[in-house]
Amino acid sequence: MKFSLRDVPIRRKLMGALLLTSVTVMLLMRGSFFTYEYLNFRSNTARQLGVMGRMIAANSTAALAFENEPDAREILSALRVEPQVTAAALYTADGRLFTSFAAPDRASPLPASPGETGFRFTGARLAGFQPVLNDQRRLGTLYLEYDTGPVMRTWLRDSVTIALAVMGVVLVVAYLLARALQRQISAPIVDLARTAQAVSERGDYSVRALPAGGGEIRQLTDAFNQMLTQIEALNRELERRVAARTAELEIANKELEAFSYSVSHDLRAPLRHIDGFAGLLVKADGERVSERGRKYLATIASSARQMGTLIDDLLVFSRMGRSEMTFRDVDLRQLVDEEIRTLQAQNPDRRIRWDIGPLPVVPGDRPMLRQVLVNLLANAVKYTGPRDPAEISVGARPDGAGKVVVHVRDNGVGFDMQYADKLFGVFQRLHRAEEFEGTGIGLANVRRIVSRHGGETWAEAAVGAGATFFFSLPLSRPALS
Amino acid sequence: MALLNPGPVLRPGRRWRAACCLALGLAFGAGPALPAPPSREYQVKAVFLFNFAQFVDWPPAAFPSAGSPLVIGVLGEDPFGAALDDAVRGETVASRPLAVRRFRRPADIAECHILFVSRPASARLGEVLAALDGRAVLTVGEADDFAARGGMIHFVTDKSRTRLRINLDAARNAGLTLSSKLLRPAEIVATARNAP
Repeated sequence: MKFSLRDVPIRRKLMGALLLTSVTVMLLMRGSFFTYEYLNFRSNTARQLGVMGRMIAANSTAALAFENEPDAREILSALRVEPQVTAAALYTADGRLFTSFAAPDRASPLPASPGETGFRFTGARLAGFQPVLNDQRRLGTLYLEYDTGPVMRTWLRDSVTIALAVMGVVLVVAYLLARALQRQISAPIVDLARTAQAVSERGDYSVRALPAGGGEIRQLTDAFNQMLTQIEALNRELERRVAARTAELEIANKELEAFSYSVSHDLRAPLRHIDGFAGLLVKADGERVSERGRKYLATIASSARQMGTLIDDLLVFSRMGRSEMTFRDVDLRQLVDEEIRTLQAQNPDRRIRWDIGPLPVVPGDRPMLRQVLVNLLANAVKYTGPRDPAEISVGARPDGAGKVVVHVRDNGVGFDMQYADKLFGVFQRLHRAEEFEGTGIGLANVRRIVSRHGGETWAEAAVGAGATFFFSLPLSRPALS
Repeated sequence: MALLNPGPVLRPGRRWRAACCLALGLAFGAGPALPAPPSREYQVKAVFLFNFAQFVDWPPAAFPSAGSPLVIGVLGEDPFGAALDDAVRGETVASRPLAVRRFRRPADIAECHILFVSRPASARLGEVLAALDGRAVLTVGEADDFAARGGMIHFVTDKSRTRLRINLDAARNAGLTLSSKLLRPAEIVATARNAP
């Protein structure tokens, strides 16, 4: 992750800002002081050398006037006590070098003749000429050379040492001050941030930030606490409303279910009567009813029975949505085997080639999962009716996301994929009842059960090329059903 | 350190040649001898004479007026030739022009501020000093013991260089003030007890 100043905690940010400011101010101050001292040092040195030059020049007048070289040399040698004077020379009035001395380590030759009056810096070396005058009469010229290097270096070293020491002390003081001061600013913000985090992480809106300090931070804390109060109130109100609505909905749902159950249940009795009495009529007065009449009666009876089946299926579907689920380990392979036996027994004249792959044990409600397999396998058997032999395979593979995907594949009549969405709806049929019997509620049940287990259902098919139905189930028990 | 000042030296060869010329001139009697060109030594001494004017203060009474010249006198035989005139030409000291006068005998000494007493004239130094008694005249000479005998500044040749030997008391007695700077490169002596 890239480091960003934004991610630094406010305490360190404040501390950093304060220390950075102190250091910058100090550096600027030291820097300007340094420059001032340096310039001062140079001008002072130049002035001092000028004074020294005038004194030496005043002393040398007679030595020059009376060409007394030893005396001149003696005057110049007084300069040797000043180790920074690296060279000195006296020139006669007509420009000849009269006498001179130079430090042993000085390499360059002395100027052969006097130059312009005045002292000038060349790097760290200050050098120049001073006329030797007596009553306005020029008797000669003095040359002085002064190396500010050693003094400058000592001064620089001392200055840097002092600057570092002062900076160190100031930094420590600044750090202590900053620590004390930043706490005033950051502590309430940190507390606020901690409170906000507690709120967002635990969803606990009852906590409150401690009101500390004054000014904007106090305003912020108060506003934050006020918002928390509002959120808490809103939450309570929402929860109350949701609970009320849920209760209303539950009541309405129960009423509806009870209504549809009783309707379905109550519808069965008259249907049985229609079926029963149609049968009785055929049995009792069958001879007196015309052939056409008997046919009508048979249709009435079969329609009543069909309606009864529909109502039974609806009751099952309704039960699947309402009934409590009991989770336990369910061996899918066992369920499939049992169901195949049942289906073989029901269709003794069908040749079906079964191909059953390894199937897992999954947590689930056993009767419900049985219902899923019953529907899918029965569908497979049903829609492979025209095939001889029919080929039905069942298999499973993990999907890599904690679920297992079970498929039931057949080589039956298949369906058009554009209706794949309708497949799992209640009473949705892709084939006419004359072709394949059924109520169109089986796959709706499959979807509802799988969904209640936390899985999904889908299908792939092509007309005349068979169909494959898939459903996924979590390999571990879902936390909430 | 290299000796940069060649020094006011008259090399032996040169002196011998000068003597030969003089001898020849006298021997053949070809009129008065041409004044020999001044030697380096006397060029230096001429400049020194002028320089004394800068380092010595005369009492105001020594000058007839504010603008009157400062006179450098030469007593007896003049060894400078044109050198002295060259040295003072166009110069001023304390806004006084300079002038050179030559005197043959002590009795001839007129207004004068610096007096160079030539070697021959120094033989009768007592007479000279007596003639100057009470006048603010700086006496300069080159004869042996010139300062010890009552002269004020003695040109001493030391290792081919001209050095100063100063009789400070003599100068003071004449009412002259010598700059301490002048004394710096000089040797101070007193008048000997047995001086004339």
